[in-house]
Amino acid sequence: MQLRYIFTELRQGLRRNVSMHIAVVLTLFVSLTLVGLGTLLAQQADRATEQWGNQLQITVYLCRDGDENPACQSEVTDPQLDQVVTTVADNPEVSGYQLESKAEAFEKVKELYGEETFSGPNPLLTEEDMAQSVRITLQDPNEFAGVTSAVTGLDGVSQVQDLRDSVGPILDSIDVLTIAAWGTAALLVAAALLLVANTIRLAAFARRKEIGIMRLVGASTLYIALPFLMEALVTAVIGVGLAAGALASFLKFGITDGVAQDLTFIPWVGWSEWGVAVVVVAVLGPALTLLPTLLLTRKYIKV
Amino acid sequence: MIRFEKVTKTYPGPGAPALDGVTVDIEKGEFVFLVGASGSGKSTALRLVLRETRPTSGRVYVAGKEINRLAGWKVPRLRRQIGTVFQDFRLLQNKNVSENVAFALQVIGKSRSEIRQVVPETLELVGLSGKGDRLPDELSGGEQQRVAIARAFVNRPMILIADEPTGNLDPTSSVEVMKLLERINQTGTTVVMATHDSGVVDHMRKRVVELGGGRLLRDQVEGGYGAAG
Ligand SMILES: Nc1ncnc2c1ncn2[C@@H]1O[C@H](COP(=O)(O)OP(=O)(O)OP(=O)(O)O)[C@@H](O)[C@H]1O
Ligand SMILES: [Mg+2]
Repeated sequence: MQLRYIFTELRQGLRRNVSMHIAVVLTLFVSLTLVGLGTLLAQQADRATEQWGNQLQITVYLCRDGDENPACQSEVTDPQLDQVVTTVADNPEVSGYQLESKAEAFEKVKELYGEETFSGPNPLLTEEDMAQSVRITLQDPNEFAGVTSAVTGLDGVSQVQDLRDSVGPILDSIDVLTIAAWGTAALLVAAALLLVANTIRLAAFARRKEIGIMRLVGASTLYIALPFLMEALVTAVIGVGLAAGALASFLKFGITDGVAQDLTFIPWVGWSEWGVAVVVVAVLGPALTLLPTLLLTRKYIKV
Repeated sequence: MIRFEKVTKTYPGPGAPALDGVTVDIEKGEFVFLVGASGSGKSTALRLVLRETRPTSGRVYVAGKEINRLAGWKVPRLRRQIGTVFQDFRLLQNKNVSENVAFALQVIGKSRSEIRQVVPETLELVGLSGKGDRLPDELSGGEQQRVAIARAFVNRPMILIADEPTGNLDPTSSVEVMKLLERINQTGTTVVMATHDSGVVDHMRKRVVELGGGRLLRDQVEGGYGAAG
């Protein structure tokens, strides 16, 4: 097979229909970026639920000296603590629980904000400012209401924090964004398909005489279709490349250097998740252009 | 070389069949005129040989193979053995004479060295040696048709099919084209030519197959255009 011929045809084909190809590339670029964005967000939601959904769902903060909660008269007493632990242990919804001491809580805070903040002569917080807590894991993360109400109001309990309360809205908005990205992507993918189909129709029409002669002299279908397939591949590769770049800058500037700086307690997606999104996009992009090309060239250049 | 067995072809839609139970056998190396009124089914018969279309019933054999049974991917191989010429030349206007002829070899994957050798030979055969660099619209109709014949013959096919090749030509050019087809026939290539050109048929005295309303009306060795000829 003469590669020179294929490349000449490819160059001519790309030039003949520049505006159409640009339209295809741009549509592909935007739709693939949205697909990739959806994939990133879905992975973000997964990472977040994995961490919060399985590790712990309810934290019971116990009273400490000088607690903001007026129900707390003093540091939690041992009988009060026993009462809380028994209540938690007897509850059938609980799969496990763990006591966290003031020291452990302090360690975690130091890890989160850096050792320096808490050392020196005038620290922001000391170990004494921390509260003891009971960290509860549930059988079913969705069944938190029973446990929450059982421990709320017990003596020595300052605050019951269900992670759904703080994290739920974040997860929900990630879900909404994911659906929005994928929904818009679906519309644009449809537009991309129509554009690809139209491009092929125009190209086949422009080349109908050549195609007629090629069929007549016995060129194989693949040979006839190859310039079309190459054109489709080139537009797809450009679209995928642009989308991968857009996703990379979204990750870098939007997440890693952006929200991740402010919301450190959330496990954010990183380059490996970007890789997954790019793989999805890199498979989808060529499929979006090559499949219609294969189908349509079969129709237009049927032997 | 070409054999029709009770071939019937009905196009979709109303109307009589374009071909109706036609049985014809054309031997290797023959020169056959296909004649008949407009709409009698000549082009349909040629299209069947190329497998541009398939018979509704009956069988078409080319080189011993029943071509309706041929898998789609083998059709190109069949067509490489058949050269085709039409009334309207079908040259690529943006390519010069040599490139038009070379195109037929390029697209079936022939090497550049082979193309460089065979194309000038074929142009010489059709008497266009000095005109390889001309564009089609810089040639007369007869010359354009000779380019088309060169393109059809450049791959040395076993069969040459011509559908009214002189239909657009003046008598002088027609005579030249016919001489060329005869020369190609003498190399052993089977030539089948559909035509309305009574002068050509009467002059050549070759086998004549006449169709009428899709039926075989006459199959005459050394025949003329009309039944009396
Ligand atoms: N693609 C088609 N679809 C439907 N009917 C067709 C088609 N091609 C040909 N026909 C019909 O089949 C019949 C035979 O047509 P065909 O072209 O074979 O005749 P012909 O002998 O070549 O005529 P002419 O001398 O005018 O070229 C005609 O009635 C024609 O209308
Ligand atoms: Mg005809």
